[in-house]
Amino acid sequence: MSSYNPQDVITHAFMRLRQSGFQLGIGELFAARQAVEGGFGATPEELGQTLKILWCHSPSQQSQFDPIWESLQVYTTTKQPKNIPQKESKPETHLEPEKKHPETPKPLLQDTITEIEPEPELSSLPIRSPFQPAEVEDTSTLQTYYPISRRSMSYRWRYLRRPVGDGPLNVLDINATIEQTTRQGFYLAPVYRRQERNNAHLVLLLDQNGSMIPFHRFTRDLAETATSESSLQREKVDVFYFHNVPAASVYKDLYLTEPIALQTVLSTCDNQTSILIVSDAGAARGYRELKRIRATTNFLFKLKQYSSLIAWLNPMPEERWIGSSAEIIANLVQMYQMDDNGLSNAIDIVRGLLS
Amino acid sequence: MSLPTKLIFENKPERRPENPHPDSPKHPEPYVVSPELKKAVNLAIYLRRPLLLEGDAGCGKTRLASAVAYELGLPLYRWDVRSTTKAQDGLYEYDAILRLHDVQTQKVEPQLAVDTAETDEDEEILNRHPANPKHYRKFGALGKAFKLNNCPAVVLIDEIDKADLDFPNDLLTVLDEPWEFKIKETGETIHAHHKPIIIITSNKEKGNLPAPFLRRCLYHYLDFPNDGKLLQEIVEKHYQIRQETSPPSSLVEKAIKRFLFVWNEGGLFKKPGTSEFLDWLKVLHTFEPEPYSADQLEKDNLLPYRELLFKLQQDWKKYAKVT
Repeated sequence: MSSYNPQDVITHAFMRLRQSGFQLGIGELFAARQAVEGGFGATPEELGQTLKILWCHSPSQQSQFDPIWESLQVYTTTKQPKNIPQKESKPETHLEPEKKHPETPKPLLQDTITEIEPEPELSSLPIRSPFQPAEVEDTSTLQTYYPISRRSMSYRWRYLRRPVGDGPLNVLDINATIEQTTRQGFYLAPVYRRQERNNAHLVLLLDQNGSMIPFHRFTRDLAETATSESSLQREKVDVFYFHNVPAASVYKDLYLTEPIALQTVLSTCDNQTSILIVSDAGAARGYRELKRIRATTNFLFKLKQYSSLIAWLNPMPEERWIGSSAEIIANLVQMYQMDDNGLSNAIDIVRGLLS
Repeated sequence: MSLPTKLIFENKPERRPENPHPDSPKHPEPYVVSPELKKAVNLAIYLRRPLLLEGDAGCGKTRLASAVAYELGLPLYRWDVRSTTKAQDGLYEYDAILRLHDVQTQKVEPQLAVDTAETDEDEEILNRHPANPKHYRKFGALGKAFKLNNCPAVVLIDEIDKADLDFPNDLLTVLDEPWEFKIKETGETIHAHHKPIIIITSNKEKGNLPAPFLRRCLYHYLDFPNDGKLLQEIVEKHYQIRQETSPPSSLVEKAIKRFLFVWNEGGLFKKPGTSEFLDWLKVLHTFEPEPYSADQLEKDNLLPYRELLFKLQQDWKKYAKVT
């Protein structure tokens, strides 16, 4: 018990949690230290509770915290040998947290582990691939796999704007009213300004089905946030769907049943129209099909005759484009991976900031 | 900036100091606190970081603030956030129109000299003079808390998730060093003499709050007290502090049993919270001249007064049928 040093434990816990994707800054570290000085961490249990209140910001983070905290506890205070004595012999394996991890209780995983584990020992037949605990460990990141959150989509859309003061004359300008009154010496009438409206026109082209199925959630969010949670006018957002490559016609609904000729869509576009394409461009399955590349090139060529504000969002990470047709298509058009930065870059492109 | 005595919240209303601040809640708040929540509150008081409370509706998120303020004898300023609320509304509002109006009316009937109404309080100023811009600013919940000289205030920011996306981020700049804000109309800088104790509630209605904001907050998730003993304690405390006659214990017992059964049975789209339970119990107790019979409640196939518990059509229908 005398070896318990809360400040050290805090630092270890802080690094370990940051590794696991907790968004904590130095300010939070200092806050925890301050809390310990204030007597909120006299015992390891109390300290654990304090850190949980301080550093976890959702029930799911709280449940993530417990196993991590437990694994640290064993490492720092050898007081608790836990139920597995074998662990005591190598308490210094700080660099290999994955080794320890499957041993800490994880209600969901435990069943599968105990089922699989005895088998490779008994049968020597290499029927199934060897059990790799390191891979299973990542459930926490899997369950919260969001390359981009809905919230940040709504944020980013806001930057897409072309304000034009052509709305009704009904915005009371208090400052101008007061200024006018003081200049005239008497009050005559309030000063009104025209309502500003966002005049930006957005065409969203979303790849649907096939390799895009895992990303439907995100494309749906993207379309929803663009139509209803952005500053764009609803009738100025056009969402169309296609499968693999936009051909002679695209579709108005996400089940690809209501076709509309691509030419009709393009005729609504002018050089101020922002066009955003969302597709994996073959990167999801790693295909490199000449047919697809050629069709996409044709389509992009046609598109560029109408607007130059074109960007492409690829839900696959950039490392996975290499070798697939996405790599080639990325040379023809500004292509970004679909994360926070990518969307913000793409929106900069389609609003005409960069070219 | 150290306080003469360390503030500690123990959920004992009798600890209230002799001479509480006039803005402190007048009535004790019946509140049952889990040890974890108590610790979270004390951490928030000690570190002066905002405490973010999440949880189902009707589990006592909002009530905590007045329980804390009552016990410590501190003023409570409540800021109800709506979809149009801006971060500045909590600091101050400036009435330029009223000032303009006063300038105009003064021409008709001349008023007193500039300095007669030099009261710096935020109460209604009767002798406004348009030459003094300070007469036209009005402090919001946070502004009032910043202006307090001799004690910190408890500020409740209720339902922060209702506001615009940027709202939490705008708040961040105020709720951090150097703990001050500027009133641009009067050129004043308001500095917090005592950092306020901030309690924030959220329902996560519009998704997660932004990460930089969350990072600064302490977090506690309030669960429904899904335990007969806990509910019993809540009921006892409720009636004890309100000094009302509590329902017969057999009725309380049966009501808790029945309620928890419904709650745990599953299949409800919106589960009733603690506040709904207390309302239901009150109705069982006093709506009719005679309290509802405990035996009757146990025997009833149809839940009595179910309009208090079920707020969705599906839930309502589910318990409308005799099972």
